[in-house]
Parts: sequence; C-alpha cells; structure tokens
Amino acid sequence: MPAVASAEAGSILISRQLAAERGLVVGSIVQLATDAAGARAREFRVAGIYEPTPDPARLGAVPREVRMHLPDLLEFTRSPDLPTGSEYISDINVALVDPADAVAFSRDVNARMPGVIARPSSEAAGSAGPFRVLERFHLAIAVVTIVAATVFLLALTIMLVDERRETVGILRLIGLPARRVLVQVLIEGVIVAGAGAVFGLVLAVLSESLINTFFQWRYDTALVFVRITRDVALTSAAIAVPLGASATVIASWALLRRSGLRLARR
Amino acid sequence: MRALGFAWRSLVRQPARAILGVLGVAAVGALLFDMLLLSQGLLVSMRDLLDRSGWDIRVSAGELPGRGGRVPAATRTAERIITLPSVKSVLIVRLANARIESPSGSPIAATFEGVRGYARPGDRISHPWTVTRGRDAGGASETVIDSAIAKAANLQIGSLITLRASCIGDREALPPAQLRVVGIAEFPFRGTDEDAMAGSLDALKAACGGNVGDEADLLLVTSVSEATATAAAIRDAVPDLYAMTNDEVVGRLQQTGFSYFRQISAVLTTVTITFAVLLITVLLTVSVNQRLGEIAALRALGFSRSRVVADVLSESALIVGSGGLLSLPLGMLLASGLDRILKGMPGIPAELHFFVFEPTALAVHIGLLVATAILAALYPMRIVSSLPIAATLRDEVIG
Repeated sequence: MPAVASAEAGSILISRQLAAERGLVVGSIVQLATDAAGARAREFRVAGIYEPTPDPARLGAVPREVRMHLPDLLEFTRSPDLPTGSEYISDINVALVDPADAVAFSRDVNARMPGVIARPSSEAAGSAGPFRVLERFHLAIAVVTIVAATVFLLALTIMLVDERRETVGILRLIGLPARRVLVQVLIEGVIVAGAGAVFGLVLAVLSESLINTFFQWRYDTALVFVRITRDVALTSAAIAVPLGASATVIASWALLRRSGLRLARR
Repeated sequence: MRALGFAWRSLVRQPARAILGVLGVAAVGALLFDMLLLSQGLLVSMRDLLDRSGWDIRVSAGELPGRGGRVPAATRTAERIITLPSVKSVLIVRLANARIESPSGSPIAATFEGVRGYARPGDRISHPWTVTRGRDAGGASETVIDSAIAKAANLQIGSLITLRASCIGDREALPPAQLRVVGIAEFPFRGTDEDAMAGSLDALKAACGGNVGDEADLLLVTSVSEATATAAAIRDAVPDLYAMTNDEVVGRLQQTGFSYFRQISAVLTTVTITFAVLLITVLLTVSVNQRLGEIAALRALGFSRSRVVADVLSESALIVGSGGLLSLPLGMLLASGLDRILKGMPGIPAELHFFVFEPTALAVHIGLLVATAILAALYPMRIVSSLPIAATLRDEVIG
C-alpha cells in the first residue's frame, strides 16, 4: 500500500503488473509484510518497475512480484526467534570466466561440498519442459496439417492435370516425348509451389505479429508465442516446394503413360 | 434420380479425386475434432478428478491450491473448520521432497504426502490415494508407495526404506530416516514425471527429522451438504485463507493455467475450418468447371436450376459427410497420441487428460462440418445457377 515517504526505507523493484494494479510509480513508498495481517510490516521505496521474465509454467497467472536486496529479504523474512545469520538461501547463481567449464565446475563443487547440489544452467532449466512438450505438440499438429494439405493437393493436381489432358495429348502428337512434357510439368509445379510457399510465408509473417499481440494482450506477458525465424521459413519452403512439385508429377504420371492420340481424343 | 444419387454417381465416375477429397476432409476433420475435444478436455478431466477424490472444498493460502505459500497454524485451522456444522471431515496435507535410497545406487526422487485427518464422530476419513495392495499407512513409521517406486527400488510390502525428506527447502542435508512399506497405492494427482509416497503427518515429521512446523500445503474438506455454502462458512471462519469448491477450482484454472489450450484450440479450429472451406470450394469449383457442358446439357434436357444447384450441394455433402465420418475414429486415434505428448508436461497429474470425449464436442463438430459443406458449395452453386445454357453448349461444341 502507498505510504508516507521515509528516509530509512529500503529499495525494491516491482513487476509492471503489480505497479499497474496498485497504481505505484518509481519513488512510491510501500509497506510489505510476510503475513496477511500485516504484522512486522516494513517500508520500502519503489526504485524501479521491471518486466518479469516470461515463464510458460505461469502463463495466465498475473505476476505480482517484488525484488529486493538479499540482506533486506533475509532480515525481512527471518522468524523473530531465529538469530541473525541463521537464515538460508535456496540458490546461488555462478558466472564462470569460461562457460564451457560449467560441467567440470559443477562436478568439482559436488565433490568438495557434500549437501550442496551444483548443476549447469542448461541442466537446471526445468521450466523449459513445458516449452519442449509444446514444441512436440505443435510439430504433431504440423504433421497432420501437412498430411491433410498433401491429400488435398493431390486431388487438386489430378483435376488440374485432367483439365489439360487435350493440351498434353497435342504436345505428345507433335513429337514431344513424355519425359519432356514431364519436365515441363515439373517446372510448372516448382513455380506454383514456390509461389505458394512465398505467399504462405508472407501470410505467416503478417499473422505472426497479430497472434503475438493477441496472446500477449490476453495473458499480459512479454512471452513471444510465434516467431518466424530463418530456419522455420527455410524448413517450410523445403517441405512445401518439393511436396507441391511431387504432387504435380505424381498426378501427371498416369496421364503421360497414355498415348497422345488417346489424350487428344475428345 | 434424386440429387444425392446423382451426386454419388458424379463422384464415383472420378474415384481418385473423390477418394482424395474424402481423405483430405477426414484428416482436416480429425484435427478439428481433436481441437474441439481439447477446448474443454482439461476442464472436464480435472473436474472429474476432483470429484472422484471425494473432497468438496480445498483450503489454501493462495488463490490456487499449491500456489501462494503454506497454510500457517494448520492444526488450529483444521480444528476450527471441523467445528463448523456443515463440515464432515478435514484433512491436513503437507508435501515434502524425498530421496529414497535405492539398491542401484542413485536415489529415487519422490513427493511425500503427509496427512492428518479430523472427522465428526462416526465419519470415516478417506485419503487422497487408493491402496491397491497391502494396507493404508497409519503410524509414524509406516508409509505407502506407488508401484513405480516399488519396482525401481525393488521394495515389497514389509520392506524398510531409507529416505531423506526435505520439508523446508529443496536442498537440505538431513539425516536419513527409515519407514516401513505397508502398502502400494495409486495417487491420482501424481504427475507423470514424479513418484509419490504417503503416510501420516507424524511419518512425514519423522522423515524430515522433525523439521516440519505446523504448516500445511492444503486442507481438504468434505461438507455435509451444499459445498458452496460450506466454503463460504469456512471463508468466514478463516478469512486469511482461500476456500474453494471443486467447481471454483476448475473455474479458476479455466481463467489461468488451462486457458492457453482453449485459446490454441480456438485458433486451430478457425484455421482448420478456413482451410477445409477453401480446399473443398476449390475442389468443387474445378470439378464444376470441368463439367459445365454436361451441366448445361442437363439444363437443356429439363433439369431445373434448383436441381443442378442441389446436385452440387449434394456432392459437397457427400465429400464432407464421408470425410467427417472417417474423421471420428481418426480423430480419436490422433487424440490419444497428442494426449501422450502433452502429458509429458512437468507436474501434470497422470490421470488428467487433455482430450476428453464429450457429446457436445461431437455435436459442434457435426455442426461445423455441415456449415463447411454449405459454405464450400456456395461459389460452385452460384456458377451452375447462373450458367447460360445456349452459350455454354455452343462453346462446348465449338471448343
């Protein structure tokens, strides 16, 4: 709660969401307590407002957070019956001169200090679990979508190729071999599939900001939900273009096996 | 011949494109069906899980059980709640991280659930787990474990286990304690990625070297009558705590943790439907364009405008209908695979499902497919309805 300014107040940072909810600004004086009754409340000065690190495990929960200096926190949360210096902390983050030494350093600490567990950050990133699961889920959805799109694509190309039966028949009758017609069909397929892939990517880039804006607004988070990276774009193109070209060739194959006369016959 | 029969013959005449069209609708329909199951699946499954546990109300320090710290003065709070006339029983639940020593050398990490119950005279207290073998744990030296721990540590009923539990912090270095396994149990709220064991609060205290304090992660309450009124009475009695009925917990989860899946389901449903409408429209349009001469000839023979329109609509209905029928078993199969993937999320109870079949989802699925069939047929129907008979026939003859 906002209170009268005090020179002795410690400084804290508060999350953007908490600041907005409570109408706090930099310089506000607030009282914090460890219980709902407000016993042993202490005054703190808001030194800054920060954007909380997006956490997928807490999606949907409004982050009402406060960050304070460790000595202030230990003093603030220590039980009155405990002497100063008997507090404990849960984690220590260590920055190494050479990050590549993380595994060896952890092993060394574990051997030298029984009761303490040291882990490289890459192994300790438990919160990345939901990300990995969601990634697998989205991949599965993408596979189903590709299967459905391929089936539709085949149906469409069969119809389109059928529509050009007479043209293909005439080309065969004037002497073009089946292989030459097939190459032409393949080039057409690559051009159409390439244009489709480019159109799809433009659509994806346009919808990227739309989807991010919506979900960031919906969950009040800075988490990025959709990001069209270079790798994603290349993967999409690498799937779409060969798929489209193959569908055209497969659909044309049956047609080209027939004689030119049969194809040109009305 | 009726329009449906005529449409059937049109499709059979071009089996490859018809089969591919139906298969495409089946794949898209399966995805659509799954998204509809996902939109409410978690909530239905969670409500079922909560209701099956037999406890009506959850009392916690935070808005959601398990978030927002522990309930202080748990014993006094439970004793206060049990005196309320509408309360039948109260169970203090305290959770701790435990490391069970295993013969293989690497310890097994488990969640230890310690409980203490309060009931009115004559009422029984049920625990939030089901004993499948042996008996329930009672004393300060007894425990029940899940079958995964029993298998990993090669434990039988009657075995002694050595464990180090940590009730305060995650990484305390405490002396080991020994408990006797008296039963194997199933824990409905156990996560897919965790092992669980349980016993009395005294057993948990023994495992934590007495370093527990009078705090609870959660108080479970069974009411005599209406849960909503009982929850209100508890809130009046202990205003610092949150007392939520099962419906309120589900409602809260719906607004927070579970809403992502509803949102993603809504987005994918929209995309899937748009995709299906576009593709079926293109299929039907190309098909109709190839048969313009034939349709014009039928019109010249006396087929009415509405009749040829009905033919196109029937064709769309047959493709979407057949694909839609196929999409149901395909969707159920796909749902079980996707469910397995999503249950890999840390902390998700093993008995919770993301995709749950509901008649409402089926009804919405059918409704959306019907709308797809109609929408997709609109443009080709317009083409055949406005087809100039003489000009089309002349073009066909000249062409």
